[in-house]
Amino acid sequence: MTARTWIGTGGYVFFLVAAAVIAASIGGSIERTLIVFFISLIAVLGMGVYSGNSGILSFGHLAFMGIAAYLSGILTMPVAMKQVTLANAPDFLANAHLNFFAATVVTVIFVMVVALVVGIVISRLDGSSATITTLGLLVIVHGIIIGARDITRGSQSFFGVPRWTDITVAAGCAVLAIVIARLFKDSVFGLKLRASRDDQLAAGAMGVNVRMQRLISWVISAGLVAIAGVLLGHFLGAFSVKKFYFVDTFALLAMLIVGGMATVSGAMAGAVLITLVSELLRRIEGGIDVFGFQTPTLFGTTQIGIGLIILLVMYKRAGGLLDRLEWDEILLPRLAGRKIGPADAVVEAPVVALEGTLEAREITKAFDGLVALDKVSLSLKSGEIVGLIGPNGSGKTTLLNVLSGMLPETSGKSFIDGTDVTGTPAYRLGGMGISRTFQNIRLFSSMSVRQNVSVSALDKWPSTTSRAAGAIVDLALQTMKLTDVSEVQASTLSYGDQRRVEVARALALNPRFLFLDEPAAGMNREETDALMDDLKGLREQFGMGILIVDHDLPLIMKLCDRVVVLNEGHVIAEGAPQSVQKDPQVIEAYLGKKGSRQVAEILTE
Amino acid sequence: MFRKLKLTTCLTVGLAMAAFPTAVFADEIVIGTATGQTGGLAPYDGPAMQGFQIAVDEINEAGGIGGKHKIKLISKDTRSDAAQTSIVAQELIDSGISVLVTPSDADPSFAAAALATDAKIPAFSPAASSPTLPMMGGDYMFANFPGDNVQATVSAEWAHKQGLKNAYVLYSPDTQYTTLPLYFSDVFKKLGNTVAGEGTYTIGQQDFSAEVTKIKSMNPPVDVVMTAAYEPDFPAFIRQLRAAGVTAQVIGSDGIDSPTTFSLGKAAEGLVFSTAGHATAGSALEGFNKKYAAKYGKETDTIFSAIGYDLMKVIEAGVLAADSIEPQAIRDAVANLENVKGVTSMITYKGTTGMPVRQVTLIRVKDGGRELVAQPSPTADLVPAPRMQ
Repeated sequence: MTARTWIGTGGYVFFLVAAAVIAASIGGSIERTLIVFFISLIAVLGMGVYSGNSGILSFGHLAFMGIAAYLSGILTMPVAMKQVTLANAPDFLANAHLNFFAATVVTVIFVMVVALVVGIVISRLDGSSATITTLGLLVIVHGIIIGARDITRGSQSFFGVPRWTDITVAAGCAVLAIVIARLFKDSVFGLKLRASRDDQLAAGAMGVNVRMQRLISWVISAGLVAIAGVLLGHFLGAFSVKKFYFVDTFALLAMLIVGGMATVSGAMAGAVLITLVSELLRRIEGGIDVFGFQTPTLFGTTQIGIGLIILLVMYKRAGGLLDRLEWDEILLPRLAGRKIGPADAVVEAPVVALEGTLEAREITKAFDGLVALDKVSLSLKSGEIVGLIGPNGSGKTTLLNVLSGMLPETSGKSFIDGTDVTGTPAYRLGGMGISRTFQNIRLFSSMSVRQNVSVSALDKWPSTTSRAAGAIVDLALQTMKLTDVSEVQASTLSYGDQRRVEVARALALNPRFLFLDEPAAGMNREETDALMDDLKGLREQFGMGILIVDHDLPLIMKLCDRVVVLNEGHVIAEGAPQSVQKDPQVIEAYLGKKGSRQVAEILTE
Repeated sequence: MFRKLKLTTCLTVGLAMAAFPTAVFADEIVIGTATGQTGGLAPYDGPAMQGFQIAVDEINEAGGIGGKHKIKLISKDTRSDAAQTSIVAQELIDSGISVLVTPSDADPSFAAAALATDAKIPAFSPAASSPTLPMMGGDYMFANFPGDNVQATVSAEWAHKQGLKNAYVLYSPDTQYTTLPLYFSDVFKKLGNTVAGEGTYTIGQQDFSAEVTKIKSMNPPVDVVMTAAYEPDFPAFIRQLRAAGVTAQVIGSDGIDSPTTFSLGKAAEGLVFSTAGHATAGSALEGFNKKYAAKYGKETDTIFSAIGYDLMKVIEAGVLAADSIEPQAIRDAVANLENVKGVTSMITYKGTTGMPVRQVTLIRVKDGGRELVAQPSPTADLVPAPRMQ
């Protein structure tokens, strides 16, 4: 956590407490409006913990809110009331009578368990399929609540819930929710999940177990939304299942999306804006006196107004009002990334004995009928730089993808130090020493350079402490000469610098085997030469084995100890650069038969 | 910057204007309405408040209630949402109302009823028909529509008088309203008849073949089928029932008092259903419908507008009986009102828990048109107690 996280969180807390104090002193309907605002805010923050950090929109969170409202209501309702309204409830529920706090705790735990079970399924899905599944969740829970008549009264009003939610309770819970939401976002979990939101594939390659991170945030967000459900139930005292369905789902999502899903400040801004605007329009729509002139009553103005605001915000800022930065990151940029405690002045390289061999045996990869790799064997020792070359479409990137666990092999095996690692998922291979960069730059675009590198540095967290990870990040940034731009948003850097960030990010995983997929693409001669020096430096400094794919043959020939040549999925040559260079098969693969004769003539002269 | 400033100014001015309500005169009675003018309740609360407004205007033109209490109406929209109802109701209570009108649905009315009870202000739902609402909503919550149990009693008594003996009721436990046939079942049995079966369906089910087969195979044959199903279930049910050759009398409830029912052709012919009123020539309801057309420039297409008008007449009667605009006095007076003359019915609260005793209108579908069967009041002893589940 940085100092700024705490300042940012403190700012929200101050705002909420101030609002609560003012509202409580005014009382009446203003107080009730604020209570509803706090409840909505908690729900929106809860939805944001999952949707904002994972990038997956959820329509299902109102289901958790509903479960929480009903369960807590049953637990706190006086037993005598239950005998009248819920005559057929099972005994353990009919006789239960808990205080507000106990009921809330029981309810939140129950909802989180439900979320865990549901989440095991949902966390396996990506993007819109996950979203549609959450929609299914909403519909199913809605049906279950109606069906469970003995304890929910079906679609009829569920009433008799004690009205215990006052401004203090609501504000207290809102403070709790916003602290949790912000700390989660800036935590290691939040960082990794946001990395997967920006680029799921790259996050996996950098050791992030995307499913696990999604599941964690899903469960936490369900817990927060459950608090909102408990509060709502005990605020209204009477509600029915339609309160937890599409209308309210979209009302809350509108707040989240208008404010900006990706930030906690955005959730807050959305809730504040929509509440303020609807309060204002609502007072006008009933007809008011403007200097003695009575305006007509136009019910519906509120909804139309809110609709227009959503359109306007989406038109001007598709990501919402605060789409990337928290309020403190906008207002206090100079505090950027300043850590609590003394800064580590000198970065020391972790001295790790890098020994080992990566070996691929007879890897075959077929995409339906197309055989991209046909029994390719390859080995890489630490301290060695191996070039992987071949014409376009020869299977180089496919081989890297298979070796880094991003594509399953059709047949064949891979070993690290003799241990079979075939079929190990990418995020785990990261921990075993394989790291990589990508042919098309795949940075976590919304995040700063430092955050990008931190994702992989925190791979072994918590057994590697955050502070130790910080040192790894500093070292990686220093090595790739990125210290000056460490707080810059990664996607705003120049092309060459973005490539360097990719390498730095890969380095922070402390790899024994580093795969570089066309690191020199798009670079000019000087940049390529500088890169070559850097890569040689890496080997000297860290001693890892490097497998490099590039079309820049001079680079490959000068840099590599050994070169493997692929053509149409086969290894056609392997050996020292000089010998491979002269191999007639290689020349033929690159230049065709006719060209190869000419080159052969030149070479023999 | 300038644009931002302008926006802020607008917001501030707007809020400031909204914050100052207009002055209230000493003899004025302030009535607050927190109803669903937009959203799911708008088809009921919209017309109800139009009718309500007609009564308010009429009374004010005549010099106010009893010639001295002019009515000041503060209308607010709840967007058919329970939380919003709770905010709006509190706002109205804070602004010094003597009477609160709540939405025509139970959940938001419950939310408002709790606040009204705390503030000791009488609250009325225009068209909620669930007898549970006034019973569980507390002493200050009143309803204004023929209750489900009252409608069912009238239907059962009518069926009994027709000599029908063996009933089948079809209900859905999904909502309070669709369990209305169970009240029918109670009363019909109390009158010495038999109920051959109580079948259930799910709202939106639309395939009633299993139920229809059951009804057809009953021995002795069923001579009356009662249901509170409405669109889209009811049209599907009656078509399937008639297609199977069942000719038993079918009785429905006010949920099917809609143009659809009269466009079903042969299937609906002879169908009888209960509703809140019928405009016969020269009746009070016909008079109201004319006033409505004059004010809004179109014919009313629902009974709810007249129901809204009647609600204001009930409040007027309460204020007159109390000779006060003090909320507690009005509440006590309303609880003892007898035979208030509404345009849909005579309305009595005395001896009830807040669900009025009203005449119920029975309508028969004849040649695709509306035929008045009867407008009886139920026999008080027969009306079943409200059911919780």
